[in-house]
Amino acid sequence: MKSARNLYLIGTCIVLGSVLAECLARWYYCGGACLRLAGYVFVWPLFYFVAAVDVLLIGWYWLRLTIRIKSIIKELKSDKISRIKSDGGKIVNELSEAINNRFDDNIGYITELEQQIKDLQIQIRLSQGQKRNTEAIIYSIRDAVIVIDEFDKLLMANEAAGKIFNFDYRNSQHKPISELISSEKTKAGENEFVDFLCQSRQSKMRHTRREIDFSDENASKTFDCIVSCVYGEQERLCGVVAVLHNITREKEISQMKNDFVNHVSHELKTPLASISAYSEMLVDGEADDEQTKKEFYSVIQSQAKRLNRLIEDILNTSRIESGLIKVEKRPISLTILIEEQLQMIRSYAKEKSIKIIGQKPIVFDQVYADKDMISQVVINLLSNAVKYTPSGGSIKIEMEVDEIAGLARVSVTDTGVGIPKDEIEHIFDKFYRVGANKRQAKGTGLGLNLVKQIIEKFHNGRVFVESEPGEGSTFGFELPLATAEAVKV
Amino acid sequence: MAERKVLVADDEIHIIHVVTIKLRNNGYEVISAENSNQAFALACEEKPDIIVTDFQMPGMTGLELVRKLRQNETTKDIPVIMLTARGFAVEDKEKEELEISELLSKPFSPKELLRSIEDILYQKAVMRNN
Repeated sequence: MKSARNLYLIGTCIVLGSVLAECLARWYYCGGACLRLAGYVFVWPLFYFVAAVDVLLIGWYWLRLTIRIKSIIKELKSDKISRIKSDGGKIVNELSEAINNRFDDNIGYITELEQQIKDLQIQIRLSQGQKRNTEAIIYSIRDAVIVIDEFDKLLMANEAAGKIFNFDYRNSQHKPISELISSEKTKAGENEFVDFLCQSRQSKMRHTRREIDFSDENASKTFDCIVSCVYGEQERLCGVVAVLHNITREKEISQMKNDFVNHVSHELKTPLASISAYSEMLVDGEADDEQTKKEFYSVIQSQAKRLNRLIEDILNTSRIESGLIKVEKRPISLTILIEEQLQMIRSYAKEKSIKIIGQKPIVFDQVYADKDMISQVVINLLSNAVKYTPSGGSIKIEMEVDEIAGLARVSVTDTGVGIPKDEIEHIFDKFYRVGANKRQAKGTGLGLNLVKQIIEKFHNGRVFVESEPGEGSTFGFELPLATAEAVKV
Repeated sequence: MAERKVLVADDEIHIIHVVTIKLRNNGYEVISAENSNQAFALACEEKPDIIVTDFQMPGMTGLELVRKLRQNETTKDIPVIMLTARGFAVEDKEKEELEISELLSKPFSPKELLRSIEDILYQKAVMRNN
């Protein structure tokens, strides 16, 4: 650029010099001939030379200028582009950086979200596992379990609950509990349970308990219902869990125990009343003659024995159940044993005018058994027969031997009140007494249970019963013969 | 004074026996029954001055017997003493409703029974005279 400017100045100086020389020449021309000649010889060629150079210089300069302008334009253009480029890069960089920064932020956020998702997935898996565990626990519980939400809609129930309330426990979720359980057709127990559930939820008490009777015409059913409110965050009620435990059997056993205590106390007090009254009569001198005194002593003695027998029954039952009883087995003659027991029962039978028909024919085979225990069995069967046979009836005791089976069979047949068919299967149950016959005679409901336990539990035998209401019953037992038992041993 | 008649109802023959001896020794006529149906029939037939009955008997219970006696015109005013081996078997309400004069728990004293019979019959006589 500098060189172009210098050339331009030189050119300008030459042109100005030429113009000055022309002016001088013209002035001289006007003056003298020497000057004119000098002008012709020196000035004009120089002038034209300078003019030509000027033209050339101007042309060259113009060319250079044009080139330069183009160059500058080009340069400007390229510079702009590069600037744009550089600026653009910067922008891109900035943008890129911003994007990168933003992206980094997002990546961090996304990573965080991913972690949260993973945590949630783990929690979901844990929750699902817990739910499966809870379901498995609830489904395997024998007690009925019902879980409802805060809107009284079913969340979960197990099979036992489905059976009690007769609904499909697997496909009844989110249905209102009142629709599932209670309706116009349902019984008082079901309605009471639904009311109890709703009341417990409204009262917001942690645990409430109530015994509800679900009995119908077919069966007696009592349940112990425990209802617990479930609270979430901020003590917000989110559901109610109800567990129904069947206490029908417990109630029955409790009732049986109460009956037993009543029976036992009555049974104990009855002979005691006789002993006490006769003793007082003797002390007060109400028995005048020796015969009456003897009679009184005899009654006291028999009643004391009766009392003892009763206590033995109770204790034996207790011993047998606790496994504390000592069994002393040896070969014994059933014929002799039965005869001994018959002697004991004859006076009792005579009081009721009942005829006793003894065993015929006499059997000499022996059984391998505990004598005291089998005596207890025989006396229990005989005394039951007397107890449930009206005055004037008869009792027959028989024994037979099945040598092929290696068994001795003893049976006691009476002409008593008999047992209804639907009660025969329970007749050997502890404390069980035939409903229709309860008033016929007093008893503890222990005697036949004792018979069954002694024969089946301790002697590998079998008890049997046949009965016809109003006509009489046959109770009996089978015991292995001593020989057969010895072979087994 | 005419011999007073006592009906004794109990399924325990020894109790009937001991009460009979005690009462006879003290000038009472005693009739006995081994169950409630028999006792009701005898009460209607013999019209005893007082009835001594057990609470628990085969067939009809002692309480049912008393209820039946109270519903019958000829037996409704006969005083009743009830013997029971179950102290709480008879509630006060039932005792009052069925006009049971006395409840005696088993084991009982024959002397105490005799005293109760005499007291009740004495009160009955006083009321009748008034």
